[in-house]
Amino acid sequence: MALVARFDTPASLRDLPAGSAFYDNWHNYIAGNLDASTPGTGGGEFFDASQTDVNVAGEHALVWMAFPRRVLMPRRDDRTAAFIEAERTPGGDIGNRFVQDEYCEWRVARNSAGRITKITFTTESPEYWEQLWAVDRGRVVELYQSLVDPTVVEADLHLGGVYQRRNRWNNADGIAHLMQSINTLTAALGEAQGSATTPSTQITGVPPPPPPLPPASDNYEMPSVANTSVDPRLTYDVAALVRKPLSVTLREPIGLYITGYDDTGWTKPGGSPVDNYWTIVRGHPGQILRLEYQVPPGTGFVVGDIQIGGRRIEWGGQIAEHITVTIAGIAGMRA
Amino acid sequence: MKTKRKKKRKTLPKEAAMKGPNALQPLEIPIHSPASTAKFSGVLAELGKFEPKLPKGILIPALTGDPGAEIPDAEPEPVYDLRARSNIQGNTIPGFNKDHQHFVFFRLGNIRRAKAWLRWIAPLISSMEEVLAWVRAFRAMRLRLGAEPPTCAAWVNIAFSRRAIELLVDKAAAAAFGDQSFRQGLAARSTYLGDPSKATHPGHRRKWVVGGPRNEADVLVIVAADDPEDLVTLVHTIKLRAAASNLRLLFEQRCDTLPGPLHGHEHFGFKDGVSQPGVRGKISAARGDFITPRYIDHTDARARIFAKPGQLLLWPGQFLLGEPRQHPEHPYNSAPAAAPSPPAPAPRNYPAWAALGSYLVCRRLRQDVPAFWKFAIGAASALGIPAQKFASMLVGRWPSGAPIMRTPGADNAALAGDEWANNHFIFNDATRPSVLRPIAGYAGDAFPQAAQDMLANVCPHFAHIRKTNPRDIATDLGKPHDSMLRMILRRGIPFGMPLVGVKKPSKKLLSQERGLMFICYGSTIEEQFEFLTRRWANSPIQPNFGGHDPIIGQRDRRGARTRFIAFPTAAGTRLIRLKSEWVIPTGGGYFFSPPIEAIAGVLGA
Repeated sequence: MALVARFDTPASLRDLPAGSAFYDNWHNYIAGNLDASTPGTGGGEFFDASQTDVNVAGEHALVWMAFPRRVLMPRRDDRTAAFIEAERTPGGDIGNRFVQDEYCEWRVARNSAGRITKITFTTESPEYWEQLWAVDRGRVVELYQSLVDPTVVEADLHLGGVYQRRNRWNNADGIAHLMQSINTLTAALGEAQGSATTPSTQITGVPPPPPPLPPASDNYEMPSVANTSVDPRLTYDVAALVRKPLSVTLREPIGLYITGYDDTGWTKPGGSPVDNYWTIVRGHPGQILRLEYQVPPGTGFVVGDIQIGGRRIEWGGQIAEHITVTIAGIAGMRA
Repeated sequence: MKTKRKKKRKTLPKEAAMKGPNALQPLEIPIHSPASTAKFSGVLAELGKFEPKLPKGILIPALTGDPGAEIPDAEPEPVYDLRARSNIQGNTIPGFNKDHQHFVFFRLGNIRRAKAWLRWIAPLISSMEEVLAWVRAFRAMRLRLGAEPPTCAAWVNIAFSRRAIELLVDKAAAAAFGDQSFRQGLAARSTYLGDPSKATHPGHRRKWVVGGPRNEADVLVIVAADDPEDLVTLVHTIKLRAAASNLRLLFEQRCDTLPGPLHGHEHFGFKDGVSQPGVRGKISAARGDFITPRYIDHTDARARIFAKPGQLLLWPGQFLLGEPRQHPEHPYNSAPAAAPSPPAPAPRNYPAWAALGSYLVCRRLRQDVPAFWKFAIGAASALGIPAQKFASMLVGRWPSGAPIMRTPGADNAALAGDEWANNHFIFNDATRPSVLRPIAGYAGDAFPQAAQDMLANVCPHFAHIRKTNPRDIATDLGKPHDSMLRMILRRGIPFGMPLVGVKKPSKKLLSQERGLMFICYGSTIEEQFEFLTRRWANSPIQPNFGGHDPIIGQRDRRGARTRFIAFPTAAGTRLIRLKSEWVIPTGGGYFFSPPIEAIAGVLGA
């Protein structure tokens, strides 16, 4: 595989014209978060595809559930409590995005009767928007006006010129991109790269795996790294590839993507299967960054009237657990 | 004037639209070609030969365990004393596993008379105590003889729907069951499980022989016997007493294991039920007196996780309500039953009388054997590989039950028959030999160990055994420890006359119905059976990208039943559409299998 000349934007988004400095800045941001090679346990490595050339042997897509497992597992005997927890905030039901820590956040809109009318999911990283802001503030405002609310003005989005990830339109009043503190692309890149070496961290209160430790010979010997879906998915898979030993990196264009949204068994109020009410707002199939679920006006019912397996949709989490997020990897041997 | 019909453009399913160097190339399969039809009979006849070769001359204890199998610092496991063992139904633990079984579905009539019938049948219900004692003796004889021992027993178990509990106890008792899917019933969850939503489809719930919206059963009685005559007598007696007690017989299904070399195989010709989790817990406080025998020496760290190579140990609360269950973040420590559920007050997960009971899922699945094998023959021909090899990659095991992970090139009857070897493999990394406790007469596992297959070129991501039991691999729910929460106790048995092994099947035989009575037990339907079915078997991308489970996977996305597999070949991955369906749901139900004391003491009181 030839060296990557310039890391592309997630889903190859073109929010600014070709030739904009933004695209070089984005490349530098990605490259700046990766080392040319991070030697791993067992002989493999995590590499920067713009600096290290590798013959690709195969791809491996890492898939995980969008609904936060950290919220679900302690409430496995009462799933409704988990759905409420993922959406409940002191100020209302806009979505408890602070616990939505699987690199996917959502926001629920309800009508006056309290029924859900629309749910918006995003996997866009805040870093992308910061880079965009640094080059063209006006374009960021345009995007907010288009995606979130037409009344957004530039002053809403910054503090002393510094773009605010948790501005009101990406917090209390809307959703533009990820805002939970560890839902960042920097964190994902760091975790992927750091997973080349068998981690020694362990969830508090959970005993270590059986000896010998480390390095792990297989996943049963790995420490219990986190109670989320994404962290062990990333850590275990990268570590397993590296101990083959293979050279591993993330596939271009690097990004966190929604790849699955399964509405099998979802029914309209009359009991027939739902139609396709999904809209890909940013990205494209296989690389979705922003996804909306909304019944078209005039249909006679709203999202909150739809049933999933005979249960009416009351919480965004009921949909989030049928959404899968993906980061794609490639693995091979040094050229 | 003729106009040219515009050719419909063939596009990949969106879920298969991963781009990149390994982009999928579609492969068109001529399913009903004359060539595949001609080969069909030959393949069927050939399948009758794949009998696992059982070892013999092996001596294992039938009465107690191996004191040396204790791990000194391991978390103590619960001891099930005589009363507890007599209270747990025997098909849950350890499982009937009988060659002849009969499933009888009843609808309740007069409740007072139904209660009297329950008080009559309660003493007939076979407990863990008697079934385990028998199974232990049977297994010891089987390993010594190298063949099925000529012994006989006949057993009965019973289970109830949510409606039955409402009628026999009260609505509050039924509402106290925490599993919402149980409370809804199978018919209400049918399309969520990928079953057909179109009423014209033969698998639509309205066409089910039992368990559809208008014919849901209240009571399921399972009768099992080694001797078919015993079975007939026992079933006859139960039905007579039920009829006299105003229970309406909705449906009944006789099931039998396949004959001769196909004993233990399902109708497509593959050995079934090779991999089952081992239930933790002890029969007495004596050292090593475990419910599930332990064979891995404690000097091998895997002794904490596995009972024997490849058999994961699970805490009994995964199958019995109220018992310590699997820790969601750890492979061998337990977690308390029915964890509190903040911020709301902890809900009651089950009524107190239901402790030691289990949820039971019953699915009557019709198998279209010609459709399966004609597809396999056509696809194999297009790929240039033998049909049996292709079909074995769909399953993940060869017809004998030998895992393709351990013998990728050809079937191996001796490996299939070796219970310490036939399930010993992981996917992501090379499998290391286990250090076993001494087993008198056992020569050891000398078969080649499985190589790593993280990219799923040997056992594909879609393979049935990889989809439904991902073993060591990380999944969409993270750690393999989470996968342990999903495991079920499978107790299925075929129904109908076999086609496999028949040289020239008659038209009459071809037209007969056959399939699998799928039965499984667990402490939650939603997080175990439904999770495995919907999240993994029916998904082309979970737990990994690679297609649907081609054996049990169902798909009905917005009414479309499109399924595919991404088949690995030396020349790259080929996308194969599964154009026909060979497993069709035809009935079933969600039930609760109560502790035996509750049958007369609560439900029949």
